[in-house]
Amino acid sequence: MAKSSKSWQLRDYVFAAFMTIGIAVASVITVPLTLSIPLPGIRTVVWAPFAGIFLTLGMARLQRSGSVALMIGVLALILSRISWIITAFLVIALLVTEGVMVFRGGFYGKANRLLANVLFFSSATVAGALVGAYAAGDVFAAWVGQPWILLLMTIVSGFAGAVGWWLGERVVKQLQRAGKLNVS
Amino acid sequence: MLANAVNSSNRGWLGRVNPLLKIGLSIVTVSIAFALQDLAAAGLLVGVLLVLLLSVGMSWRVWLGGAIALILFTALTWLLRDWPSAVLNTLRLLAILLPGPIFSLTTSPADLTRALQAVKLPSFLVLSLMLVWRFLPVVQQEAQRIIEANQLRGVDLSRRPGQWFSGLFVPLIFRIVSYADEVTIGLETRSYDPNARRTLGQPLRWRGLDTGVALSSIAVFWAVGYLQWSQ
Repeated sequence: MAKSSKSWQLRDYVFAAFMTIGIAVASVITVPLTLSIPLPGIRTVVWAPFAGIFLTLGMARLQRSGSVALMIGVLALILSRISWIITAFLVIALLVTEGVMVFRGGFYGKANRLLANVLFFSSATVAGALVGAYAAGDVFAAWVGQPWILLLMTIVSGFAGAVGWWLGERVVKQLQRAGKLNVS
Repeated sequence: MLANAVNSSNRGWLGRVNPLLKIGLSIVTVSIAFALQDLAAAGLLVGVLLVLLLSVGMSWRVWLGGAIALILFTALTWLLRDWPSAVLNTLRLLAILLPGPIFSLTTSPADLTRALQAVKLPSFLVLSLMLVWRFLPVVQQEAQRIIEANQLRGVDLSRRPGQWFSGLFVPLIFRIVSYADEVTIGLETRSYDPNARRTLGQPLRWRGLDTGVALSSIAVFWAVGYLQWSQ
């Protein structure tokens, strides 16, 4: 039976919650390294390779549309305790990713997961830069709004997301070999 | 229970305000802050937010870190533009950023979960939130243990990011997946059903304090709006 025709199970929600924890821990480890660098999207670039592992794992295990929303939506709610700006750009990125992936039938297969990772982290960079620039004022908006900087950082974020996908697929294989993950 | 009571008292009078009201006020404040272009209006809003933050009792280290970051931001904006723009942008940024810490320092995770249950947020989301809050510190401890185990073997991960994947994240993921399995089995053996109807031990109530806070906030928003849009 195709997974999309099954209803969500308790184990799916629990697995997604633990992947959210992994993504949050990845941000706790990586983001402080770049706090002093005033480059749009730099935090996403260092966060993506490690957060992408958990995102890929979650997509591989859950597979259907809504998987990214379940993981990132909860993360956005939790990070609202730090800043509403983070919540705003995470929600924008998850809407873009889910919106595109719904036309591809969810997160089945490696290619779909790669696309979802690249889309999520690229759109997080664009949304984060725009929301952040608007919050910081017109001077910074002018700096961030330079197309070449935004384009470069979006491409680098997408690439970092692809690295996260590659590492994530390696972990999926290891977990399958250990009998800890059933990806049919 | 006692821990909750102690936490609530530590959060001051704002800790007793309805969390849903605080969420609503935070969203309105951030929305207004985005539109601010007047120095007096921004100053008034930030002044009120700073008074609220002072009443919460934040550690001096956070104050110091925030002050340094703000001074740098103001100086940079001053260099790039002029002094009034620098002050306005700093006040605007403060007005956008401050509601977050005020909300989080005065709202416990348990209160936020109760608020989300009260607005009929899907039960699976409430379950996910509770799991993340319960297990985030546990997983962080696991990560710390893995880092220490690496140090015992002579591998200093802070100096070797190339080993983060194999030395930290792979073992951490195996632990996380084990936790997920154990929690699922634990919940299933207790016949936990995320879709079952449940009751609240401490239902949210609208109190006199909430009415007072709502009316005061309306007055502040009106004053800010008047200063911003009257000219």
